[in-house]
Amino acid sequence: MTDDTTGLVLFTVKVAVVATLIILPPGVAAAYALARWRGPGRGFVDTVLALPLVLPPTAVGLVLLELLGRNGPLGRILDAVGVEVVFTPGAVVLASAVMAFPLLVRSARSGFEEVDPRLVAVARTLGDTPARAFFRVTLPLAWRGVAVGALLAFSRALGEFGATVLVAGNIPGRTQTLSLAIFQHTQLGQDARALQLAGIAALLAFVAVYATEGLTRWRGRRVRA
Amino acid sequence: MSLPLARFALEVDVRLEGASVAVMGRSGSGKTSLLEVLAGLRRGARGRVVVGGRVLLDSAARVDLAPEARRMGYVPQDALLFPHLTAEQNVRYGARAGRPSRVDEAVALLELGPMLHRYPATLSGGEKQRVALARALATDPALLLLDEPLAALDVTLKERVLPYLLRVRDEARVPMLYVTHQLGEARVLAKEALLLEDGRVRAAGPASEVLGASARGLLASEAEGEENILEGALERVPEGGTRLRVTEGLSLWVPDAPELPPGTRAAYAVPAEDILLSMGPLSGVSARNVLAGNVVGVERVGAGEAAATVDIAGTRWVVRLTEASVRELGVAPGVRVHLAVKTSACRRLR
Repeated sequence: MTDDTTGLVLFTVKVAVVATLIILPPGVAAAYALARWRGPGRGFVDTVLALPLVLPPTAVGLVLLELLGRNGPLGRILDAVGVEVVFTPGAVVLASAVMAFPLLVRSARSGFEEVDPRLVAVARTLGDTPARAFFRVTLPLAWRGVAVGALLAFSRALGEFGATVLVAGNIPGRTQTLSLAIFQHTQLGQDARALQLAGIAALLAFVAVYATEGLTRWRGRRVRA
Repeated sequence: MSLPLARFALEVDVRLEGASVAVMGRSGSGKTSLLEVLAGLRRGARGRVVVGGRVLLDSAARVDLAPEARRMGYVPQDALLFPHLTAEQNVRYGARAGRPSRVDEAVALLELGPMLHRYPATLSGGEKQRVALARALATDPALLLLDEPLAALDVTLKERVLPYLLRVRDEARVPMLYVTHQLGEARVLAKEALLLEDGRVRAAGPASEVLGASARGLLASEAEGEENILEGALERVPEGGTRLRVTEGLSLWVPDAPELPPGTRAAYAVPAEDILLSMGPLSGVSARNVLAGNVVGVERVGAGEAAATVDIAGTRWVVRLTEASVRELGVAPGVRVHLAVKTSACRRLR
């Protein structure tokens, strides 16, 4: 691989890793809340959280751009404290995180839903506070759902294009990821280069998906053993 | 205390002193809800709950301790072991630095040694119940709350858990509240009983009184396959044979068990339909146990079927017979009768 390619791959993986780590705490919290909350508003929150999955990614990117642009409501505040997001590597992370968030929440939520709440009740009678019971019983039992969700989110972030291109642009060496580079080289008629990058992207995706599958099987074996 | 439920409100106002209390009643009479209120797992309960002098709930004073502060040893019906932890990790779950732990004692008492490193998925129903009991016991609880610990098991498994419950009661010295709908179980385990019907206390007091004849009507068809459960110390008879000494005035011939040393505590079950009831003294019968007692109650339990409760030296026996026999023999409260029990009808619970 040329230095160019190495830099591109490293940047893409780094973005996906950081985006996944950033959404992990709020994603797990949201998943747990959705799994346990039985009151009103559940369906609404559920739907809003699912929107990035079904909206055109460019629409999500546009919303982010409007919010964070220099004249946007959030952008103005950030500008005042000297932080610029749009067309920076941070914007790539942000776009990937937003697009990956619903995948994490969905998988983690089904993990939490499989945990019998009565196990938590038993943990309480054995002296656990609600927080302790969460970390000793709920999370270990929902762990597979959370981990699979994180891997799905990571895979999604690896290939993010539509939202990223709007809010971060396609700046080689600054905001360009693998999927953005494939697009650029195709546009320029450099099909061989584009295909080479596509091959690398496929390899990365393969590893991530294979890890997800392996995780599912391994975890299932241990609990039944 | 009181707790609004879907069909009725659970209203319990009772003071229990016994080391082991059976809570009985039909399905849906509020038994499990009562345990959950005591364990602090049901929000919305009003009133006052005091266990061993400690106030757990006092809605007037706005006291409502969290489950983790109550020190209740809760054993749910289906054991609910933590599936991601080994048996040993389950038992140790509630043990904390700086608090008295009874882990080793619980493991020994319930004989968990051989299964400590196994995961719950590989344990039988009876083994799971034993681990769940040990897990509760290991936290040194102020009170054990047992929710039908034998109900989910089939009869052979039940026989293997009951003796452990007796050991927990007698050796661990932790008071227990025991939900069941089996009269036989309640009679052998409990010193006191609480009978619930639609969330209200129908009767409470010494088990021998509460679990007499009148209890059966409230427990409905559960009387099917009813057993008399007797517990006592084994005695060797020099001429051969084994006897179970239940009380001062009551000993039974049981199937010979030379492998058990004299003095061993054991429990035996005698099915209510395997007992012969006679109005006069019996002689020349093959049954070696002939016991004299007084009828304390007779009632119908189904089409043409009746159950007589007989007091023998302070123990209650249930005998199944037909309604025709009840009429023809004149079986009625106060009448003196003799019961014949074949040695082979006494089955050891182990």
